[in-house]
Amino acid sequence: MKDLAVRLAALDPDAGAALRVIAYFDRLAEGRAGLQTIVRGAAVLAGCPARLTDDARRIQLRVQPDGTDATAGPPDPSWMSVGVADQAVLWLERPGPPGPVDAMVLERAAGAARAVLERTRRQIPPADPASVELTLDAAAPEHLRLTAAARLGLKPSDQVRAIAYAGAPPALLAAGNRRIGHPVETDTGRMTSVGPLQHAAGRPGGTTAADNGLDATITVQRAGIGPAGPVADLPTSYTAARIALRFTATGTEADPGPTVVHADRLGGLALLAATVGPGTEPIPDVRALDRVAACAPWALATLDAVAETLSLRAAATQLRVHHSTLQERLTHAAPLLGWDIREPQGRLRLQVALALRRLHRNGPA
Amino acid sequence: MTTVSPPPPFDPELAAALSVVGESLPPSLTADMIQPMRSGSLLADPTDEDLARGGAFTVARRTVPGPAGAPEIELLILTPAGARTTLPGIYHTHGGGMIVGNNRSGVDVLQDWATEVPAVIVSVEYRLAPEHPHPAPVEDCYAGLVWTAEHAAELGIDPHHLIVAGASAGGGLAAALALLARDRGGPALAGQMLLCPMIDDRNDTPSAVQMAGLGVWDRTSNDTGWTALLGAARGGPDVSPYAAPARATDLSGLPPAFIDVGSAETFRDEDVTYASRIWQAGGQAELHVWPGGFHGFDMMVPQAAVSQEARAARVRWLRRLLGA
Repeated sequence: MKDLAVRLAALDPDAGAALRVIAYFDRLAEGRAGLQTIVRGAAVLAGCPARLTDDARRIQLRVQPDGTDATAGPPDPSWMSVGVADQAVLWLERPGPPGPVDAMVLERAAGAARAVLERTRRQIPPADPASVELTLDAAAPEHLRLTAAARLGLKPSDQVRAIAYAGAPPALLAAGNRRIGHPVETDTGRMTSVGPLQHAAGRPGGTTAADNGLDATITVQRAGIGPAGPVADLPTSYTAARIALRFTATGTEADPGPTVVHADRLGGLALLAATVGPGTEPIPDVRALDRVAACAPWALATLDAVAETLSLRAAATQLRVHHSTLQERLTHAAPLLGWDIREPQGRLRLQVALALRRLHRNGPA
Repeated sequence: MTTVSPPPPFDPELAAALSVVGESLPPSLTADMIQPMRSGSLLADPTDEDLARGGAFTVARRTVPGPAGAPEIELLILTPAGARTTLPGIYHTHGGGMIVGNNRSGVDVLQDWATEVPAVIVSVEYRLAPEHPHPAPVEDCYAGLVWTAEHAAELGIDPHHLIVAGASAGGGLAAALALLARDRGGPALAGQMLLCPMIDDRNDTPSAVQMAGLGVWDRTSNDTGWTALLGAARGGPDVSPYAAPARATDLSGLPPAFIDVGSAETFRDEDVTYASRIWQAGGQAELHVWPGGFHGFDMMVPQAAVSQEARAARVRWLRRLLGA
């Protein structure tokens, strides 16, 4: 009895269509169907390709109405879409506004997808912190480090980075930005131990904690990231990560600068770390920065923006102040430094002084 | 057996689709529903334009002799456009529980195959039960098969690459054709493609009992179909293997079989047993049991992941069998 032309196909916007959409996604949720299946349901019922994108989880799903998968370019902002959870978005590849069936498909598919994301997030097994630390321990024999890595799902040939945190256990960063270890708060308040790491530097007036997918009320955690290499080289990566951590800042007005620093990008600056610590006598340029910091709450952040951007205009944009406001601020604060930060040499001197100031604040662990 | 466990769950994606399409297709069909089904909108048959697929196939019909003393039968012949050599032939017996359908029903599935593995499709119009009980349907099918084999050259078919194929009741008829061709010294068949075939009138396997009232074509529907075909003889001691191939005592000497079925349908156990018995008889069979599949899932929900797998497996078998 198989040749009945009863088929699951795009629904006409009749009175029963909405009920059928509800029934369809309710049954998918009941059967604990996966994301691919949910996106396929959206594509089939809406009769156009559907996507789920989630930068935070590195999810990119696209399904065509015939049920087959196909990759494509980035989503078109004019398409119909609905938020699923934090950065996850469900799309129907048709310009809006959605009709009644499309709207129902979006709503119900998003609800089903949200349930999957919450369920799978809870199911992620916590990485064993002792195993993470063992992989980083230069004193441990290599075979023990490799065994510990295997427990974390890492092959010896995997390219992995060590991550050093301020005031928290270390973690690893594997291919695909998969973070292993060190639970952090997410915007929904749940703990997660495996997830993508946000690279953007939390600068005042620049990339904010909210941009990073973290609730702005949660303190951004400083992190140093070591170079990528095979698992056996993780202790070396961790040493570099701890040096990089010393170049980070909390991203506040009192301590402006990047919250995340890659050892790969430090270059010769890394050499400074060996010579400076909390007990070292600061050089006059660092004392000058402290004088500037004392003159106004915005002063240090202003200098940091000037040091880190290519032009004063870019610095003003980053600080979210008018160009003329920046000029006024510099007129006020720059004389306290004692050198001209608009000269290339002066900018370098400023960058080095800011770096040294962070090294003084963040001692070797 | 005394007790039967609860049925296996439907695949979640198929279950969701069933909740949408099932409202127009109840699991249990009874005799009084045969006529409404024949005239109802469920049977949206493809038009000649659909069949032509934009010129990819030429559509022809031939009226050929039926069984001795019976009316002529119509064969629908779909030939891939621009074929330069002879092609494999797929002789199709449509489904519909022996009680509904026509030679256009379900041929789109075969056209999908022929697009991947070029082949000439011949689909037979056979008389339906209950107006025409056994052996009318299977003898019509056999007469059309014999004519097709005898006219292979004219149809552009390579006679060494002629297979039978069908789904559901059509799968049962295809299996019966393989038995008949063997027993009567009829056309040499290269294979038999049996999709969720309906082959056992006894209707008492664990899967038939488990799935009662569930999914598509449940035990009640199956009883409706078999009773239409066999009348009071259904389930009794004297049913011919050409009506119900599961009744055959000898499954040796048959062409290679492809058998697929869902784990959550009435026909699961009779189809698995048929494959096992072919192997036990020294024959060749490829068996796929798709987890959580209801009857005809791949046709009703072609987009589902498990449907895509099921459809792809058939084409892969055809490729290996026909060397395309």
